Amino acid sequence: MRMSLIKVPDSMSLFLACWFVAFTVETIYSAEAPDPFAGISAATGKVSTAADENAFSRFTHDNFTFKKEIFSQFAWSDEAPSSSNIYSRQSIGFEILKKFSTRTSTYAAFDLQMRLVRRDHFLPVVNDMEGADRDGFYTEYHNVYADFYNILNPLMSDKTRGDNAGRFNLRVGRSYVPFGINLQTDTHGTLLQLSNEENFGFERDWGAGLWGSLTPDLDYNVSYLLGSGYDMSFDGQHGLAVTRLSLAGKYLNNYGLEGGLSFMTGERLMKSTAIKHTGNKPRREDTDTVDTIREGVDGRYTHIVPGGTMSLTAELSTGQDDDDDIFGQLYQADFLNHSRKWGLASQYRRFSRDTENDLADESLFGEFTWYFRNDVGNTTLHWVKLNIEKQLEQQEGQNDVIVSVQYYRYW
Amino acid sequence: MKDVTARSAALQKRFVVTMNYKFEIKYLYKEYCKALILVILVVCSFLATDAGAAVGCTLSNPAQDLKFLFPEMTTYKEEVRQFDLMKNGKELFSELKERLGSDLDPVYETFETPYTLYTIFNGEKIIGYVHGVNVPGEGGVIQIFMSVDPETGAILRMFFQRIESTVAKALKKKDFLAQFNGLTLADFYKHDYFAVVEPASTNDRIAQIKSPIPEGQASADYAAALRGVRKDLILIDIFVYNRKNEPFYRKAQDELAKRKGL
Repeated sequence: MRMSLIKVPDSMSLFLACWFVAFTVETIYSAEAPDPFAGISAATGKVSTAADENAFSRFTHDNFTFKKEIFSQFAWSDEAPSSSNIYSRQSIGFEILKKFSTRTSTYAAFDLQMRLVRRDHFLPVVNDMEGADRDGFYTEYHNVYADFYNILNPLMSDKTRGDNAGRFNLRVGRSYVPFGINLQTDTHGTLLQLSNEENFGFERDWGAGLWGSLTPDLDYNVSYLLGSGYDMSFDGQHGLAVTRLSLAGKYLNNYGLEGGLSFMTGERLMKSTAIKHTGNKPRREDTDTVDTIREGVDGRYTHIVPGGTMSLTAELSTGQDDDDDIFGQLYQADFLNHSRKWGLASQYRRFSRDTENDLADESLFGEFTWYFRNDVGNTTLHWVKLNIEKQLEQQEGQNDVIVSVQYYRYW
Repeated sequence: MKDVTARSAALQKRFVVTMNYKFEIKYLYKEYCKALILVILVVCSFLATDAGAAVGCTLSNPAQDLKFLFPEMTTYKEEVRQFDLMKNGKELFSELKERLGSDLDPVYETFETPYTLYTIFNGEKIIGYVHGVNVPGEGGVIQIFMSVDPETGAILRMFFQRIESTVAKALKKKDFLAQFNGLTLADFYKHDYFAVVEPASTNDRIAQIKSPIPEGQASADYAAALRGVRKDLILIDIFVYNRKNEPFYRKAQDELAKRKGL
């Protein structure tokens, strides 16, 4: 009985034993090494916030934006008298953007954009139509507005606030006229401009308006503007009512599409308009008012192309200034190299007035830009531009060729 | 009588001239004051160190986007963060580069680049953070946003707000984006170790992400997207959590250094 317990193993048992040893060794060597991160846990701590600072530091650090700007432009005209055919516009400026928050929400923002400008030998370059009467030094304000976000929040329950977030915002002050694609385009430092300045005589105006998301697909803006352009003045004009419906940001992000429909009606002041001529009618006083009606459609399509990004922009508007039919058209193509170091742009614009003489301003532009800095969010910009305008038709005077060189820095 | 009338007219004229003169002086003084204030402001700003910046990588429609990400949201708060305004900004900026493991792009990723952090509330309670970054891709900008859990810092949802890429369609596929849900910065730091030491480790969650780019197509933008996610998590870790994932980074680097020493 005892002998049977210690009997010599047969060949089958020997094979199984060898297999077991080999399997064990293999398993030990092929298993993953112990996880070196086992037992390590995340640290804890608190990020110091503006709340820990004194009132001034809190104001200038907490959602506070301060940007400086240098703008230098020289332009040469083919038609201007030789003694004054070099236009110079030199400026330094700044922009302040401050956002205000409670512990749980951002409720307001204030934006102020100013420049101290020196102009000599004014030429009607497309980016400085307001500067015609500002020879020498001039202090200019551009944006002066306050935004109040979700203004109905105090009247709403928590749930309704969430449902209407971003829907009822109020803007008060001087900012871009919410007509056309200018609201979605920063033209503060650029040479090429969109239609509004030529269409109305100003691209910014004083006023107040509601804006926000109407639906997930559409944004809206309903504003009342003074129609006085640069100065905040009441000279008997009724002002302008403007409405704009535009595609929500998701269309830009998903399809590269921006665009909208705009409507405007009311009265604006003559002095701020670009009406240079009214046929055989006598020239009108600055304080005269102009009955204004406009409807506009605009769009921009941005897409990558070999070597960079291309965008195509169009703005069309029609309507009336008093009895004159107005038709404005602007088309622009931009190419930005993949490196964001250089870009090309071309623009065609025509603004016609249906008078006895069927007058129009029509120009073709070509532009080259070299960027030293070209931040994606336009937060730091630094460039040199060469811009050539070939005037094809003018309401007044000879067709001209204007060549502009610009140095611009915003940081 | 004639003398009196003439004298009165002369006085009146003088009064008008004086008033016009005074008006002109007053006007000039007003203009002068305006110009002076502006000059002082501008000069101060040029002398000062950079005191602020514009709003950088932001959601194009924050209210709508945040509501979509957090349906229970009642309010949200925006805060601008940028290294040049932080006390130890230079140090943190170089740490960002180190933890990213690659050079920072001089156009997209500068020291002055502002970032916007969105904090989402339900009543008084923080229910999430949303933050985005821009990274350079092969075709242009890739703008990545993500929502994270306020307690763990894990990704709740990742999406591309803007993507200029020939493979944009593939990268935007839901099943690809869903692979990032639940990942933390610690997973990326661990990946540094596992990719070198144990490439087949099941603990390496980053290695398990499947590229959506079909074979034969350029995958540089896939790599750029992964880099963007990592960068966004590092920034959130700095801006919100006071670098709570640092122990994982240190451990991974220490282990790699040991291996190198061997």
